[in-house]
Amino acid sequence: MNCNHDHSGKNYSRRDFLTKTSLGLGALSLGSLMSPTDAYGNSNFLNLLDSNKQKLPHFAPKAKRVIYLFQSGAPSQLDLFDYKPKLNEMFGQEVPKSIIGEQRLTGMSAGQNSFPMAGSLFNFKQHGNSGAWMSDLMPHTAKIVDELCFIKSMHTDAINHDPAMTLIQTGSQLPGRPSIGSWLSYGLGSDNKNLPEFVVLITKGETGQPLYSKLWGNGFLPSEHQGVQFRAGKDAVLYLENPPGVSANVREEQLKYLNKLQQIQHADIGDPEILARMSQYEMAFRMQTSVPEVMDLSDEPEYIFDLYGKDSKTPGTFAANCLMARKLAEKDVKFIQLYHQGWDMHGTLPKSIRNKSREVDQATAGLIKDLKQRGLLEDTLVVWGGEFGRTNYSQGLLKPDDYGRDHHPRCFTIFMAGAGIKKGITLGATDEFGYNITERPVHVHDFQATLMHLLGIDHEKLTFKFQGRRYRLTDVSGNVVNEILS
Amino acid sequence: MFYDLLNFLGSLHPLVVHLPIGFVLLTMIFEFFADSKSIIQNRMISLGWLFTFISSLIASLFGWFLGDSGYYFESQIDIHRWSGILFVVICFLVWVYKSFNLPTNTFLSRFRNIIVITLLTVTGHYGGSMTHGEDYLTENLPEIIKEKLGVDYEEISTISSRSIDSLFVYEDLIHPFLEDKCMACHNDENTSGGLNMTVFELLVKGGENETGITKGNIYKSSIFSRVVMSQRNEKFMPPTGIPLSFDQTKILEWWIEEGAKLEQPITSFREDAKIQKLLLHLYEVDIREKPFLETLVLEDLSENDLIYLENENFEFRFLSNKNAVLDLKFMGENITKENLKSLDKIKEHVVWLSIIDSKLSDDEMAYLPNLKNLTRLKIQKNFITNKGVAFIEGLDNLSELNLYGTRITDASFEVFSKMKGLKKLFLWKTRVTKKGVAQFTAQYPNIEVMVGY
Repeated sequence: MNCNHDHSGKNYSRRDFLTKTSLGLGALSLGSLMSPTDAYGNSNFLNLLDSNKQKLPHFAPKAKRVIYLFQSGAPSQLDLFDYKPKLNEMFGQEVPKSIIGEQRLTGMSAGQNSFPMAGSLFNFKQHGNSGAWMSDLMPHTAKIVDELCFIKSMHTDAINHDPAMTLIQTGSQLPGRPSIGSWLSYGLGSDNKNLPEFVVLITKGETGQPLYSKLWGNGFLPSEHQGVQFRAGKDAVLYLENPPGVSANVREEQLKYLNKLQQIQHADIGDPEILARMSQYEMAFRMQTSVPEVMDLSDEPEYIFDLYGKDSKTPGTFAANCLMARKLAEKDVKFIQLYHQGWDMHGTLPKSIRNKSREVDQATAGLIKDLKQRGLLEDTLVVWGGEFGRTNYSQGLLKPDDYGRDHHPRCFTIFMAGAGIKKGITLGATDEFGYNITERPVHVHDFQATLMHLLGIDHEKLTFKFQGRRYRLTDVSGNVVNEILS
Repeated sequence: MFYDLLNFLGSLHPLVVHLPIGFVLLTMIFEFFADSKSIIQNRMISLGWLFTFISSLIASLFGWFLGDSGYYFESQIDIHRWSGILFVVICFLVWVYKSFNLPTNTFLSRFRNIIVITLLTVTGHYGGSMTHGEDYLTENLPEIIKEKLGVDYEEISTISSRSIDSLFVYEDLIHPFLEDKCMACHNDENTSGGLNMTVFELLVKGGENETGITKGNIYKSSIFSRVVMSQRNEKFMPPTGIPLSFDQTKILEWWIEEGAKLEQPITSFREDAKIQKLLLHLYEVDIREKPFLETLVLEDLSENDLIYLENENFEFRFLSNKNAVLDLKFMGENITKENLKSLDKIKEHVVWLSIIDSKLSDDEMAYLPNLKNLTRLKIQKNFITNKGVAFIEGLDNLSELNLYGTRITDASFEVFSKMKGLKKLFLWKTRVTKKGVAQFTAQYPNIEVMVGY
């Protein structure tokens, strides 16, 4: 798929030749005519064409790694963070026409005759010194709000799960682009020789919106930058163990010779994927010892399990994955991506959200506390959030004690904590109906730009040339949200 | 009344000036194709030169009036004025020569025409530069050609290349645009309205009826009020040309409100985020306070230095692309004195250092005080006691110190209290007591101490 390299083993492909002679040499000769001393043109213009010349990091990083607690299915911001007493006041009344306007709704609720406003059934309170609003669904997290930075004015372009997840994870609604973690791995390289830079942990046994590996795929970047999924259970990484009867020594010998063969092949046809494969073989070999070590939680004392909640003893739960995430952070894995499915609550939301919140609440708070006491929160960024929000009106019949909420891309809430982020603040606001943003909209691309910024990357400068043009995570948009940077 | 008339005629100069240009070009073309033996054709040519002479005389007269109106600098006008007059004189001479029907030499007359056209170009260019600005011709050139030509008319470059500590608000930001927009009419020789802006004290004093600058009050400062009033108001300044930009008026406003001090350093803008943004955007001057590690001036590291580091089991990462500041992490399980000695070569470059769970001992801590530029030190999970901590007392730039899982006790608080830059201290799982922490945080509320939950 990746055809940017030259198959001929020569230094220039025909396309390179034409590009460099027309733009490069042509411009160079023009330059030398005009100012002979500057014949090799210290031209900024030409440098811009080649992102490899821009040394990384572009500026001093605040964060060294990211733990992204992705809540797949879109948690209801109106029941968790975004307090709208107006909705309770006007419970059951129609959403004013002026609020929805001409905005599109999903096919699931667009046909409804009525759009009754559903105030949250849960009690909201202000917490901490910062006075952040949270419902009583997440009591543990509510205790640490002074560590958190809420963005209540997130918005996205997509209205359905798959494109919205693909957008927030890869910067585009269409599949095929590299994931955030892949970009970071590509841009910043490795801090840990024994583990991949980009690790994916998925809560086991959850149902709901499907997760595809494209979300942690490398897209057009070299394939060693893809996310590696660690599973709970016997084989954390599939097919990592030696086959029966093959000893470690034999394996090492085998890899050494394979490496030689591959080097010959690379010298011959120059495909960078050969290098990627070589590095993956080597990584896999090292991971045979490093992965079981990091997956082993038996060293953890009891009070640490208590911190993350009792689920954390069951491998594959969100809590256990959070604990694992901390261990990976200690090993300097750059991007640790967790997925927790099941937030897609079109009906019987009050019942479902209680369970779902319980699954993530203590573990989330526990992770942040644990990182903090170890000093890891100083250089680790933690992100918690879904792909979009949920509607203020009920999908399906509204009952006094029951309602459902449809997809809502106009506003949603995420929170962040840790390196380089201001503590105990709330950015942005929505209108009193919780439908539209009234203050400081933050687009998904702005969020991504900010994340890159914290890791020392100018999101406009980290590019990769593919199929004739240069791509970046935020593609053609995105602005760093300076207000939340400490 | 009389002056008004002259000013009016002066303003017609840019209009009338094109007439002689047309005449002279047409005459030359005609001359080129004319039959030199034809008497009628020769008379036509002579007539052409007469028209050129008369129209250029009128144009230059009008030009003189315009030049006297005071909107332009004498130095700007000079070349344009005298080359224009030379053009009139040449036209007159040619006409006289032609009207006497003296013999002509084709070669000489072509040579003469080239000189006339050159003169015309020079005059026109200097005239155009005054009305359209000097970068009028080049500003729309493709970027790459501009770069090669070295065309960059924006004053940005000169300011942004200087150290921000040496820049002053008036001298470097305000004076240049006042000079550009106002000082042609308000200078030592030409003090329109009694105002001379070239001398700072006189600028503050103002003109005949108005105060130039009232410190701290933009409403009583005509320097400001005159440039922001309605452009239809006849008092609006400058009366011709492009008014001050929004950003320029903003800088002026800020400076007057701050007391209009001649020696106001540009860094005093730091308090004002809006002006900061504006400076960055307008002059590419970033006056925001830089993180410590960007202010360091360090020598570049050679590849050998880095290979040496890796051989000593340190993994490194650069933290900036401007200078070689390093984030170092010890990868082994047991650090030795030899490992630590290797840091001496790059002692100024290390700003972050992690030696975690690597059996770092008190004695080995003695190598750390050399690393003067350390801002973040992670030495958790080692066998360190108060004795070891005492070594790093002098690390003034250290803002984050992680000692969790070590054996230090309350006695170390005295050391911490001497570390000037310290902001965060991680002491989870150490032997410090709650009482000790409480006492310390009461005394040093700016230092955050983390002892676990």
